[in-house]
Amino acid sequence: MLHLLPDPLPWYIVGPLFGLCVVALYAVTNLHLGVSGSYVQIIDAMRGRGIEVWRLWFLGGLLLGGVLATILGTDHQAGLAYGRLGQLLAPGALIPVLLAGSVLLGFGARWAGACTSGHGISGSSTRSPGSMVAVGTFMVTAVAATWLLHLATGGAL
Amino acid sequence: MNRLNVACALIGTSFGFCFCAAGFNRYDVIHRMLLLQNLTPFLVMGSAVLTAMPLLWLLERRRWRTPLGGDLQLRRWPVERKHVLGGAVFGCGWAITGACPGTISGMLGAGSLFGIVTLAGFLGGMLLRDTVAERAVREETAPVAEPATSTP
Repeated sequence: MLHLLPDPLPWYIVGPLFGLCVVALYAVTNLHLGVSGSYVQIIDAMRGRGIEVWRLWFLGGLLLGGVLATILGTDHQAGLAYGRLGQLLAPGALIPVLLAGSVLLGFGARWAGACTSGHGISGSSTRSPGSMVAVGTFMVTAVAATWLLHLATGGAL
Repeated sequence: MNRLNVACALIGTSFGFCFCAAGFNRYDVIHRMLLLQNLTPFLVMGSAVLTAMPLLWLLERRRWRTPLGGDLQLRRWPVERKHVLGGAVFGCGWAITGACPGTISGMLGAGSLFGIVTLAGFLGGMLLRDTVAERAVREETAPVAEPATSTP
C-alpha cells in the first residue's frame, strides 16, 4: 500500500532471507521449518487432538508477515483479484476451480508429509533424500500440468 | 508466552514477509514461473537453499547446541512412495490454484477474498488425506471378517 518496497524484492535479497529463516529456526529452537505442518494444527485442534503450540505461533507470524509486507509494499492480490485466472473465470466458476485445486494441494501436502517450504526449502537444505524426491516430483508435475492448462485453454492461461 | 513461541512467531513473521515481498502470493507470478516464462522465483528458491544448506551443514558439523531445543538434529526422511504420489497430487493442485500453503497465508495477509476459498479447500484436502490414511490403518489392523457361509 505504501510502495516502500521494490516490487518484487530482488531475488538475491528475498532468497537468502528465506534461507536464513530456516537456519534461524534450527539454530535457535532445533525445529524444522514447514508451513503445512502449521495448518495441520488447526485440523488437529478441530478434532480435539493434541497440538504443537509453537506451530500456531509460527502460523500467526506468517499471517502478520504477509500483512506487514502488504502494507509496506504492493497489494496486487487484495480483494477479488486472482490474476489471469480471475480475469478468465467469473467468481461463480473460479470458486469451484480453486476449491478443487486446493483440495488436491492439501491432500498432496499431507500425503507427501510437507510442502514447498518443509520439503522444498527446509528439506532440501538438510539434504533430506525424501524431500528432494518430493520436490522433483511436484516441480515436474506442476510444470506439466500448467502447460496442459495453457494448451487446453488455447493460451488464455 | 515463552521464549520458544516468541522465537517461532518472529521467524514466522519474517518467512511470511518473504512470500509477499517476493510476489509469491500472486497467481500470475507462480503461473508464469510454472510456464517457465519467468525464472526469477527459481532463483529465489535456489538462493534460499544455497544460503541455508552450507550454514546448516556447518552447525551440524560443529555439534551446535541450540539455546531453546537441545542438541541440533537436522531432520531427514528416507525416500518413500508417498513422496512421489503426494508430490504429484500436490503439483496438480499447485498448477491449478497458483498457490502453495505458504502463499495461502500470504494471500490472506494481503486481504485476498479468494485466499479464504483456497484455505478452506486446502484444510479440507488435508483432513480428507488424514481420514483416508486412518481408514487404511483401521482396515489393516481390523480382525479378518468371517468368510461368508452362504453360497449363491
